[in-house]
Amino acid sequence: MSPESAGLAVKAGYTNVKVYLKGVPAWKKSGRNVVASTKHVKDGNIVLVDLRPTSEYKQGHIPRAYSVPLEDMEDLEDDLPASMAAPVVLYGTGDDKAYKFVKKLGYKTTSIYQGGVDAWVASGNQLSTDAAPEEITWKRILGKGEVTVAAFNKVADGEAPGGVILDVRTKDEAAEGMFDNAIHVPLDELQAKMNEIPKDKEVMIHCSTGARAEMAYKELKAAGFNAYYLVADVECDEDGCETAEE
Amino acid sequence: MKKKMLKKFIPFMVCASFFVSGCQQTGQNAAADQAMKVESVVKAQGNVYKGKVAGVSNKAKTISITVGKGDAAKTMMVKFNDQTKGMEHAAKGEAAIIKYEVIGTDKIAVEVKPKLAKLPEGTTEVDTEYLANLVSQGTEKGNYFLVDSRPGSRFHEGTIPTSVSIPVPKIKGEGALAVLPKDKNIQLVFYCGGPT
Repeated sequence: MSPESAGLAVKAGYTNVKVYLKGVPAWKKSGRNVVASTKHVKDGNIVLVDLRPTSEYKQGHIPRAYSVPLEDMEDLEDDLPASMAAPVVLYGTGDDKAYKFVKKLGYKTTSIYQGGVDAWVASGNQLSTDAAPEEITWKRILGKGEVTVAAFNKVADGEAPGGVILDVRTKDEAAEGMFDNAIHVPLDELQAKMNEIPKDKEVMIHCSTGARAEMAYKELKAAGFNAYYLVADVECDEDGCETAEE
Repeated sequence: MKKKMLKKFIPFMVCASFFVSGCQQTGQNAAADQAMKVESVVKAQGNVYKGKVAGVSNKAKTISITVGKGDAAKTMMVKFNDQTKGMEHAAKGEAAIIKYEVIGTDKIAVEVKPKLAKLPEGTTEVDTEYLANLVSQGTEKGNYFLVDSRPGSRFHEGTIPTSVSIPVPKIKGEGALAVLPKDKNIQLVFYCGGPT
């Protein structure tokens, strides 16, 4: 992408054109932070954290922000959502330090809102004086083709006759236990055994986390199936399987 | 001895400096040449998928790769085994070229290679340290213009400080002169999603 833009700049007569080929992943990997835009802080499905002392938070904070003063930073380990996919946006003095801490915890899309409340007000937004929410709540927005745990369970429990469960785990994994009435086709045999999967039903695909289910979903979609996939931890034994949201 | 070393190293360095995915759609002639070379290799040696790796499962020993663009995009599946070369390049989100052979109903990956991108003529590559030094000076003192070429949504969720968002379709649609600074001698730095 960027080399193409750089090429256009050269053609337009710009004389000093450089490309940072390694891009954002290398920037993040070097431990440097990335910054979120005001739009993202306003509308994004994020966990916004105000790192300032409680007294400053009370005087006015960005709407939706949780209050976790920098000195209590370690609390974030317990307070942040279990899913490492939750985008955490930090602001206030010490945001750099907190960024490193949160990254280390494993949150993949952590960022800083540079300038904090000042930047927020400067872009024409109001501060809030609402009391701090007691708990951090955050819900992942489902990806394309993803099914909710609730909808999946309905099919697994036999309460949705229009649906069928497809288990794409390996033979060894399936031998430990499966959902009742699930069809089992290991991901690597999917191509060869597509005729075993009903075309007239909603096919709910699962594996043990969601990675293989997503791959199978793309495969079945391309072949014209009405398929969905589950992103959740699935654990099975002889009594059946249990799902836990990521 | 020395000569030998050099011979070995040059191709490696050339490859390494061009290795990049997520930035691969250069539309440059150079890239097209490269693609044509790959194409001819393909014909001689068998089947190949080129595209973005959509997923890798070590348990199922399967790679899925998205080939084609837009509505024509399709996800293909190939198996891999202990003989498959270059599995380090089969990582989700990376642009790759997978050479495979058909055995029965299975497609088995023989080799996975990163899809290459070339720097357009008249541009130079910069590294993280270089860019970090610029960013620490700020746009005014550093007299630079840093462009995030990724889609706007990616820019909003987290960008390199002091960047301006100009997605590739925007600069293509409106023209470089309309979206870049007036000063043609200003230092421009472009970046995108790079290799993941």
